Amino acid sequence: MTKPSDLVQGTLDLLLLKILALEPRNGWAISQRLKQISGDVLQVSDGSLYPALHKLEQEGWITAEWKLSENNRRAKFYSLTSLGRRHLEREAANWSRLSSAISHVVQLEEA
Amino acid sequence: MRPQHWLYTIPLRLRSLVRRRHVERELNEELQFHIEQKIAEGIAHGLSPKEARHAAMRAMDGLELRKEEMRDMRRIRWFTDFLDDARYAIRSLRRTSGLSAFVVITLALGIGMTSGTFSMVDALIFRPYPVPHASSVLTLASTTHDSNLDNFSYREYLDIRDKTSSYEGVIANADMEAVGFSAAEPGATPRVRGGMMVSGNYFHVLGVEPRLGRGFREDEDQVPGRDAVVVLGPAFWKHEFAGDPAVLGRTVRLNGTEFTVIGVAPDTFPGLMIFGSPDFYMPLAMARVFSTNLQKNFFEDRDDRELSVRARLKPGTTLEQARNELVVLAKNFESEYPKVNRSRGAAVYTQFEARTREDLNWKFGVIFVILALAVLLVACTNVAGLLLSRARARTREIAVRLAIGAGRFRLIRLLLTESLILASLGGLVGIAIGYGVVEWFQSFQNVVFMTDLPFSIPFRMDTRVLLASLALSALSALLCGLAPALQSTRLDLVNALKSADVDVPGRKRLWGRNVLVVAQVSASLMLLTASFLMVRAFQNTLREGTSFAKDHLLMASFDPRLVQYNAAQTQQFYKLLAERVRKAPGVESEALTQNIPLGLDGFDAITFVPEGFQMPRERENFNSTMDIVDEGYFLTMGIPVLHGRGFLASDTADAPLVAVVNEQFAKHYWRGVDAVGKHIRLENGAGRLVEILGVAETIKYQSIFQKPIDFLYMPLAQHPVARMTLMLRSSGDPLQLVQPVRDVVRDLDRNLPMLHTMVYKDFYMNQAVNGPRIAMKLVACMGLVGLVLAIAGLYGLVAYNVSRRTREIGIRIALGAASSDVLRLVMGKGFVLVGIGTIIGLAMGFGLEQLMNSMLFNAGGVDIVAYVIVVPLLFLVTMLAAYVPARRAARIAPTQALRYE
Repeated sequence: MTKPSDLVQGTLDLLLLKILALEPRNGWAISQRLKQISGDVLQVSDGSLYPALHKLEQEGWITAEWKLSENNRRAKFYSLTSLGRRHLEREAANWSRLSSAISHVVQLEEA
Repeated sequence: MRPQHWLYTIPLRLRSLVRRRHVERELNEELQFHIEQKIAEGIAHGLSPKEARHAAMRAMDGLELRKEEMRDMRRIRWFTDFLDDARYAIRSLRRTSGLSAFVVITLALGIGMTSGTFSMVDALIFRPYPVPHASSVLTLASTTHDSNLDNFSYREYLDIRDKTSSYEGVIANADMEAVGFSAAEPGATPRVRGGMMVSGNYFHVLGVEPRLGRGFREDEDQVPGRDAVVVLGPAFWKHEFAGDPAVLGRTVRLNGTEFTVIGVAPDTFPGLMIFGSPDFYMPLAMARVFSTNLQKNFFEDRDDRELSVRARLKPGTTLEQARNELVVLAKNFESEYPKVNRSRGAAVYTQFEARTREDLNWKFGVIFVILALAVLLVACTNVAGLLLSRARARTREIAVRLAIGAGRFRLIRLLLTESLILASLGGLVGIAIGYGVVEWFQSFQNVVFMTDLPFSIPFRMDTRVLLASLALSALSALLCGLAPALQSTRLDLVNALKSADVDVPGRKRLWGRNVLVVAQVSASLMLLTASFLMVRAFQNTLREGTSFAKDHLLMASFDPRLVQYNAAQTQQFYKLLAERVRKAPGVESEALTQNIPLGLDGFDAITFVPEGFQMPRERENFNSTMDIVDEGYFLTMGIPVLHGRGFLASDTADAPLVAVVNEQFAKHYWRGVDAVGKHIRLENGAGRLVEILGVAETIKYQSIFQKPIDFLYMPLAQHPVARMTLMLRSSGDPLQLVQPVRDVVRDLDRNLPMLHTMVYKDFYMNQAVNGPRIAMKLVACMGLVGLVLAIAGLYGLVAYNVSRRTREIGIRIALGAASSDVLRLVMGKGFVLVGIGTIIGLAMGFGLEQLMNSMLFNAGGVDIVAYVIVVPLLFLVTMLAAYVPARRAARIAPTQALRYE
């Protein structure tokens, strides 16, 4: 299992933004969804999740709203802003470029 | 991208700032929700509630640290820190409220005095003209050997206006003068108001939009005497016409002539004068109605120089170009009109340059500022000393903070916040004091300007002054707080934690405090000697007196042009007035003079060539101040005629021209020889010949502080003048003469007003004495405040320094030193410091004195008395301050001293 602390901070931001792009969620739901989508490969520790969300909010990429959750408890729901959407597109493009480059090198035949 | 970014983030930052607690609570709630969900999940997976809770909490690793991270992210850290520091500082200041109050008051006094004097200097030098683009308005002046800032004549002005290309417009104005004004029917007695003649393009070039009606048109200033139009000043319009818009088109009478009101100047334009604001403006073309000089033709004579000329620089032209152009034009004048323009140049000045050449007031302003800054310096050193002692007492606390990881910079910030708060409070109170000082000045307006003319004191707390004062407060905070903050955070932690009171090791230990003592001594010394000198010089000058008899004198002014007398009628009026008034009961003698000594109107000047005097090569003639008087003048004014005689009735218009000079004049041109019988020629070497009849004693003419100047008197009979002042010496109370004189005047003409009727002594007291006396009070006040602060501060500093050495003293005594040795050691140190401070202070005081001497006052060397008194006083204080604690320390049993903390 990938240790969450190995993930570069920027990559975590990318993941969080993408998840919120799909649907507005609260912090707990985000971590659950991430686990689910990645098949338990990617887990973010609770201690890193909220600082990361906080930072995204301070940068203006996501915005928050207090709503009632499914079990009628008040929770803070985050959603993507248009600024954040643009940032997500840029970061996603960067990531593809980076990861394909890495894959390319790693997959080179050894002599 | 960036501005949109801000659109999101700024509300966030603000929210973090303003509703911090709310934000924190939200965070806790969010985390709480997360934990509960986690616990629910744990239970669903089969854990017990307690285990599930443990698991959830463990997962939230390092929560507090994370919270701290998140707080940092909100990027308002610097501000929240500042608020915390401020709250802490206020708490600790409140604990020592007495000391804090003292510090605030000390700073407030310093800042208050300084901002009060800033307002003076602002009004005298820096305040820009109240017109748009004021910086492009330049002053053009004629230059001679005697003056850098002389006026131009009407013809010269026209030439400058038409023959230069560096300017968008060239304007001219005469000095504001007394004008008889009446709004009602022809018979009503006119009142005296202040009017200013200006060129037709005045308002247009300056960019002043009238509030009502319009300004002058160019064509209204073309033909002499044709367009009798007037523009009212805003204050006068409100006062005289109650702000009635129907004033437009109304007819008013100025000096008896009918004028039509065509406009009112806006409130934003009180004029370009420093000390006042004209009641109304008239075109130059109407000069014949207003000119004081019946002998010169304002429009034709190129040497009738009454106009101040200003011009707006054309964009794209440099000051250098304008200067060069004007110099060339002046040279042309010289060659075309050698009689009147020989050795006359011309110069272009910016507002600052013009103001600092204008007269001496600005130098006074600068001296005041220097003195006020000295007070502030003394105050700051006081405060710094106090803060140092406080910091010393908190050594342990600071050591603990440093030990648990506070950065040194962070601690310095903390300590600086304290001094910032003190300085802010001091600054606010100080600015309030500054307002008070300005108000106090303004309250003397009527005292200093005892006249009907609209003079006023322009000192105000403008935005510029306010900003400067605030900046000064901040600077003081830095000054006071930086040294203590730096020094007290440079600690040897181990030692500091062990005992509450430890000196920083090394030679640097006492450096800060020593500098403070020296600074205190030198600043207060300079302050004290300067104020001492000024006050003494002023008193000496007053005691010297004016050398003419001021008592039992009644004065009254007349201007027959107000009732439209022509020159012949005017002459006749004065002749009859003098004859009849002489016979009135209680009148010992009468005199008529054009201007009174120490009056607000300046004396005229005369150009002449003295007979038999070796003229220096570059000079064609000389100038002297002059007055036109009648036969009774010298007797009535009590001015002794030392050689020869005064004027007699026989010195008529048909007789040869005569004059009387003063001693200074005689000494200047005919040293060692009797001036009586000598001659001068008017204007130049080929001018009319005038014989010197007598030499009168030199008196004070323009101000009691003035150095002796040349002076020339000419008889009224030979030089008719329109406006004259009647001086009457009475045997009893001068006010008894008012009615008899009124009767005489009414007999001659019931419509002719008597102006400025008052007892000369009153006028003299207010005009010449009280004005400067106010200034002296301010100086004495500053000196006193400085002295009190200095003594308090010096005593405190030195006593504190010495008490710090108690342990050392105890050791020395334990090792066998005699108490006298110890005393000598400690006081010797004090001596040295005060000595250094004295030398510096004396040097600064000396420099300041040179500045004052260069202006006026007793231009005699150094006033020893001031130094003789002040220096020993400071030494005494320091010695006492060192002696008392030293003695106490020497007395304590050595074992106790060693334990002393």
